[in-house]
Amino acid sequence: MAAEVRPVGNPPLPPPILERGVIGWMHANLFSTWFSGALTAVSCLVIGAAAIFGINWILFNADWSVIATLGGQLVIGQYNTELACPGQNCFWRPQVSVLLVTLILGMMWGLAGGGLPKRMGIAVAVILSAFALLPYSFERMGMDVRLLLGANIPALGIGWAIARYTPLGTSRNVALSAVVVFVAILLLVRGGPAIPGLEPVSVRHWGGLMLNLILAVGGIAFSFPIGIALALGRRSSLPVVKLLCVVFIEVFRGVPLITLLFMSQVLVPLAFPENFPQNSLFRAAIVITLFSSAYMAENIRGGLQALHPGQAEAARALGLPSWQTMLFISLPQAIRNVIPAIVGQFIALFKDTSLVYIIGMLDVVEISRAFIQGNPEYLASTKELFLFLGLVFWVFTYSMSYVSRRVEENLGVGRR
Amino acid sequence: MEAQETNNGSEDIIICRDVHKWYGSFHALRGITTSIGKAQVVVVFGPSGSGKSTFIRTINRLEEHQRGQIIVDGIELTNDVRNIDAIRRDVGMVFQSFNLFPHLTVMDNIILAPMKVRKMPRDEARQVALDLLDRVGITEQSEKYPTQLSGGQQQRVAIARALAMQPNIMLFDEPTSALDPEMIKEVLEVMKELASSGMTMVVVSHEMGFAREVADRMMMFDQGSIVEDGSPEQIFENPQSDRTKLFLSQIL
Repeated sequence: MAAEVRPVGNPPLPPPILERGVIGWMHANLFSTWFSGALTAVSCLVIGAAAIFGINWILFNADWSVIATLGGQLVIGQYNTELACPGQNCFWRPQVSVLLVTLILGMMWGLAGGGLPKRMGIAVAVILSAFALLPYSFERMGMDVRLLLGANIPALGIGWAIARYTPLGTSRNVALSAVVVFVAILLLVRGGPAIPGLEPVSVRHWGGLMLNLILAVGGIAFSFPIGIALALGRRSSLPVVKLLCVVFIEVFRGVPLITLLFMSQVLVPLAFPENFPQNSLFRAAIVITLFSSAYMAENIRGGLQALHPGQAEAARALGLPSWQTMLFISLPQAIRNVIPAIVGQFIALFKDTSLVYIIGMLDVVEISRAFIQGNPEYLASTKELFLFLGLVFWVFTYSMSYVSRRVEENLGVGRR
Repeated sequence: MEAQETNNGSEDIIICRDVHKWYGSFHALRGITTSIGKAQVVVVFGPSGSGKSTFIRTINRLEEHQRGQIIVDGIELTNDVRNIDAIRRDVGMVFQSFNLFPHLTVMDNIILAPMKVRKMPRDEARQVALDLLDRVGITEQSEKYPTQLSGGQQQRVAIARALAMQPNIMLFDEPTSALDPEMIKEVLEVMKELASSGMTMVVVSHEMGFAREVADRMMMFDQGSIVEDGSPEQIFENPQSDRTKLFLSQIL
């Protein structure tokens, strides 16, 4: 017979009313003292006034026509002008590039089976497809353009199916496909005399958001591994390797990016053979990547330094050679610990791509500025235009931090 | 070579000759000469800073000795990386702070080294791991992450992880010092079972009950030297050195 254990001591009671529910929350966060109560009241007034004024301006007083007028230029700059692409329509090339990206997103969804990749993929495909319905005249925005935009939803589905039902659906193959797609996009947008149907478009005419995104994605993709290598080099016991890494990091961190971009046009050519094909975009991309790598290296080094030395010790004691210890034990933990810093770095890199205006490239900000300058009748619309640009940048950077938060949560299981 | 009387004449698996270790100018090990036989269970104890942890950490070269000779399982520890890796494969180690890999599940913690170092196929490694988890009494937790387990469970996983490499020697560096009292017992039970299976064990510990019951031999360290070396009966009933007498009187 199981003897009933009598509870000893007092039974638990619910907390007092002032610390429960909505009242408790408001009491704790808004009105805990008379000072915080006054602060709450003043803040409500300020925020309310700003909101009423702001919404009123956005809905009734602002003239957003400038954005419609600029339209595709914001996305591709002067890529499709007569100057860049004489005698033909080249708009389909960036558009197919976007389809390829959606395809990869679909593959990531198929690989993951749901969750974050699914939500991101659907959001991107739906937003892009919605652009097909923009109320432009068919003269301004042809049926071909609309169809290619609308094709983003099928592209997502095809990517999903590829990952689901073909041998391409492994993480390694999806990663490889992403690399292939990145190279394919560069070839597609650049074109070349040797490629039939793809007349070369000089990078001088690349522009708009496309330019920012190409620089940012390229910069992120390359600065991450280079940063890891630099971080490991800086911790190396080989004095020469260590010295080289320290010098590299300190030089690239110590000079403003805008200066580096300026110098790149003069200095990068010296680093390559004379007949090596290169252009201003290539030079800018190299400098942006190296600049970002230097910061990345310090982020990752910080993560490595924060690890308990017992981790590497335990791995070494199990007989793992030092490179495997680094690869399987130290780096994964270090990178996970510094994800917020890494994503901060990526966001900074994305915003910094606007600085290529200094070497005469028309990124999304510069093309807007140039447009206003060339069309003084739109001078009054400057605030609408730049407010819109701010929103565009914010959407991208917020998506990045949203993804990073989710990734962090997923990796957070079993956190120290 | 001077064999210890407590060695029962069996084959020596760890041989130390005049081992010295300095941290900067601090002389941590001051000429350790001893040998440990196969299947012996040796409990190493002594005040903190006496060099006992440093001593067992030199056996798998987590600490480098600067003078003298250490031969483990017939291989001499030199700067040759191949020797070091060979010895580490055969010498398991359990740490005071467990040092499980927090980003890997219990299962992945255990199968990592067998797969990467011994090139064992995943299925086989998983089977070995499941058997070991059964042996240390944690069958249900294999897909959890280390931080989801209690301290005692974590330490038992750490023991299973070390055993998965099928070592000939197990080193324990204060395995129960970071544990709550009610968890010490479950870890000591696992260690007792391991000792009875014929594993060579060097255990840094102040669990005198465990030492009395399981150890074949005890070593008292003080100021970087072995001040007393003998069977548990000898150490507890008839300690030779005053230092040992004093230390035992303080902890018992």
